Amino acid sequence: MTLQLLISGFSLGAVYALIAVGFAIVFSIFKFSNIAHGGMISACAFIGYFFQSSFEEPPPFIVTALFTTGVGVLMALLIDTIAYRNIRKKQAPGLYYFLMSITVAILIEQILSVFFGKNLHTYAPIFSSTTFSIGGLRFSSIDTLIMVISLAILSALIFVINKTKIGLAIRTVAISPSTSQLMGINSSVVIMAVFAIAGALAGISGVLLGTKFSVYPSLGPSMMTKGFIVSVIGGLGSLGGAIVAAIALGVVEIFLTYWLGSLSTPIVLFGIMLLFLTVRPEGISGRFAKDKV
Amino acid sequence: MKKLFAAFLICALTASQLIGCSGGGSTAPATQAASAETEAPAAEKEAAEPQAEANTDPIKIGCIQDTTGGASSAGQPNQWGAEYAVRIINENGGINGRPIEIYCRDCQNDTEVGVTVYRELVDEVGVCAIIGPPLSNPASAWVDLATEDKVPIVGHFMDEICTTDPDTGEAYPYMFLVEPSSAVQGYILAKYALDELGIKSVASLYNTSNAFAVTQEKPFVDYFVNNGGEVLAEETFGWADTDYSAQAQKIASLNPDAVLLTDYANQMVTAYDNLRDAGYEGYILGANTMAAPFNTLVKNPVKDCYYVKNYDFTSGKIADLVKVHMEETGTDYPSGNVGFGWDAVQVLASAMQQAEDPTNGEEVRDILENKTVDIESAGEVNITLVPETHRPTRDMGMFIVTYNEDGTTEEVQTYLTSDYKAE
Repeated sequence: MTLQLLISGFSLGAVYALIAVGFAIVFSIFKFSNIAHGGMISACAFIGYFFQSSFEEPPPFIVTALFTTGVGVLMALLIDTIAYRNIRKKQAPGLYYFLMSITVAILIEQILSVFFGKNLHTYAPIFSSTTFSIGGLRFSSIDTLIMVISLAILSALIFVINKTKIGLAIRTVAISPSTSQLMGINSSVVIMAVFAIAGALAGISGVLLGTKFSVYPSLGPSMMTKGFIVSVIGGLGSLGGAIVAAIALGVVEIFLTYWLGSLSTPIVLFGIMLLFLTVRPEGISGRFAKDKV
Repeated sequence: MKKLFAAFLICALTASQLIGCSGGGSTAPATQAASAETEAPAAEKEAAEPQAEANTDPIKIGCIQDTTGGASSAGQPNQWGAEYAVRIINENGGINGRPIEIYCRDCQNDTEVGVTVYRELVDEVGVCAIIGPPLSNPASAWVDLATEDKVPIVGHFMDEICTTDPDTGEAYPYMFLVEPSSAVQGYILAKYALDELGIKSVASLYNTSNAFAVTQEKPFVDYFVNNGGEVLAEETFGWADTDYSAQAQKIASLNPDAVLLTDYANQMVTAYDNLRDAGYEGYILGANTMAAPFNTLVKNPVKDCYYVKNYDFTSGKIADLVKVHMEETGTDYPSGNVGFGWDAVQVLASAMQQAEDPTNGEEVRDILENKTVDIESAGEVNITLVPETHRPTRDMGMFIVTYNEDGTTEEVQTYLTSDYKAE
């Protein structure tokens, strides 16, 4: 049973990781927690669902995922243009980004609610069976796919950030946008690239979470609290830390729910968060982010 | 700077609140009527005297349903059923010659929003009665308001605390339930499990934040234990939870003969999939929220599921209602909630027809309490309310239903609610 719970914990952690990475990438540059990411996940889940439903025979999953990822990029750039660019121009404090992200998140969720209600919509199944067994242990097919994709995304992001020119530029802008500008880096392009990456992550997350659960307006926002916990424990802005924290949270949550029940579990989870904020505010990664919001 | 920040915050919150309210789903007729409302005082004064002999003024009633919230799959057809009933009543001459105007509002399955829209309907629109939702949480918040305002509320809020005071057992004067309560449904499910399925052990998985679920689970468990069954686990979740894998694995490891799931449709889907994914292969018993579209939303095959249902869709008025609802709204599955809305309006309309002044809340309330006898429901059974509880008598029928392999449903047992003994 312990091993089976561990597998479930990893599966749940993979879901949190997927959200946390999108969260962390924006934080690494802007130093604010992009709550709007949850709204974008929901919007992308709906777009993917309607894209898939527009065909008589549902297209392969990869087609829907790529389409939604592209839409996610466009949506993120649009949100940046409408919501954040002006704040950036005026060099407003980080709190304004945070407030704007909450506003955008509520706006998206309400628009989706008004147009589509809160009824569930379901993607066509990807796998013929929802689970598979290895050595007597049951694995969720979709959770396994989410875990593989999360790890692949993380690897790709770490490669891009550490080994490419755009990655170097992102790291530079993360330290100081104005200094990097003086050094000849076009920080506007870098910022757009970061939003595009976050949008792509929202797109793929929307399809995967929509397939795992169902599609409804609060799909993404309902995960944001856990995404926030993960990003704090992982070390705000740290991709690797977010992944480790996500898996740890998933495992701890499953075991606590099993042993203590669902009512007591949040008390312990938020207690852990309190402990981290007190003892190690820099989180697992050990890097202390400035202007935490 | 602080002022600027405060102003921005207020704007953002106000905007989200306004959007939430606009999502409140005021229907087109309601909007038209609401705009007419602003002109009403002068028009009413002019109209009052000539109409002294034959009053043809419209009777304003409210209808509060969840049409955009987590229970909107029930709320939307419920609202349609109420509006359709009003349409038919008006086509047949209204209430003693007076047409009914129905003003629909969306409570979003939110208690706070429910109070806001209640106040709007009573204070601004001026409704004299309200058709309530099949939601216990918002309805329980109207108990005192309805008493104070003398506005009868007729609906399907199944938690018994919406109709009777849990401490004294006395009925709340203005709250009326027109279907068997969630407790009754719990008893019926438990009785079927024991008598027909031969189940000896059960576990439950339910939402502790939902009054409907709590008040179905406890009677189920009580009845089951009192009649020789064993309860292996009572697992819970809350509104904020999105995954119940741990609870499902615990239940699967205990391997009870059956598991009771109770909550609204969205959570039922997750709970069912989590249980099957955890390897649980026994019977799954469910609330009436296990009806379609549950079978189209779950990712695992639907098998060995039994749930309570209020109507047999194949015959009677409900068959027509379901057909017209599907045609008019494009809904691709039959929903019993159209019958809920229909029934609530029939009960209210019957009381109003007997009243000298159908807009007098006190008079209508007295009639609802004492003279709601044999009102034919959409399911062609009679609704008679017990004056002491404001709930139907225990001879109102319900069905136990199961899914066939092809996704169709089959009624396997009919229960009169008097077929069980709760004690």
